[in-house]
Amino acid sequence: MKGSDSFLIVLETPKGERSFTCHRNEFIWNAAAHNGVNLPAICHQGRCLTCAGRLLSGSVDQSSANSYFPEDKAAGFVLLCTGRPCSDLRIRTHEQLYMRQHRAKLGLPAPYL
Amino acid sequence: MSNGVTPVGHGDVTQRVGVEVIRARGVDVEKLIKMLIANAAAEFASTYYYYTILRMHLAGHEDYKEICEDARLEDRAHWELIVPRIYELGGELPNDLPAFHNQAGCVAAKLPDPPTAVNILTVLLESERCAIRSWTAICDMTFGKDPRTYDMASRILNEEIEHEAWFIELLAHERDGKSIPSGHFRRGEPGEAPYSKNRRFYNP
Repeated sequence: MKGSDSFLIVLETPKGERSFTCHRNEFIWNAAAHNGVNLPAICHQGRCLTCAGRLLSGSVDQSSANSYFPEDKAAGFVLLCTGRPCSDLRIRTHEQLYMRQHRAKLGLPAPYL
Repeated sequence: MSNGVTPVGHGDVTQRVGVEVIRARGVDVEKLIKMLIANAAAEFASTYYYYTILRMHLAGHEDYKEICEDARLEDRAHWELIVPRIYELGGELPNDLPAFHNQAGCVAAKLPDPPTAVNILTVLLESERCAIRSWTAICDMTFGKDPRTYDMASRILNEEIEHEAWFIELLAHERDGKSIPSGHFRRGEPGEAPYSKNRRFYNP
């Protein structure tokens, strides 16, 4: 049940839409895992970009990510392993390739590219 | 094609049978090279270099200092072990150290502020955890398809798992006053690296 500190997360994944609630202090990737949604990730530090998604609506707190730039936010990318919801969210998952290409174009760190 | 393997011409030095056989078995070789470079950067820069600094700030904790040193030297051994494989697969290291460090898939183990034993042990622990995840990804990618890379990655992974166990034990003791044993006793010489350096292949 959604409380005042929990938000509805809707993920658009390659296998279809999945939704669950996530507390404002919980990482989105963790909440997804607890709800049986298996998302890609490696570092769990907000560094490697494997968990990258595209924020379609809502607001995400990325203050725990090790490597997240204003340019990432401007382009709509989020890192689910270290992102916390500030509102209800709709996110397209599995965007790692596009986020790495975005970083490379800007000369920003792009592991695994 | 023989068993799905792209033929390599007699005397052809532009292709490698060692690469084509694993490609035929489903390994995305280009992706593997990128992942190995990211892991090599994490071993050399994110851990080995920064552990050198962390170790300097553990005065009064000579036991922690020694264990940090073991992990540091073993992570250097991981770097040495995996770099040749990058080249064998047809890849290369970036000819620019900052660019290489930017490739690292794990956070740099920077000296925390304040540099207390608890904070340093926490940095060490989380660094090892990222290493476990990164090398597990390589193992998953190569198991049953690329025996050579899998063998190297699993040797490294063995030691990263031991490192995590050490720092859990030390952090639980230092921060929480709890006993969570690593299950290990002691290494031999510093940097002994029992899996990545000193276990010989069977070779009568």
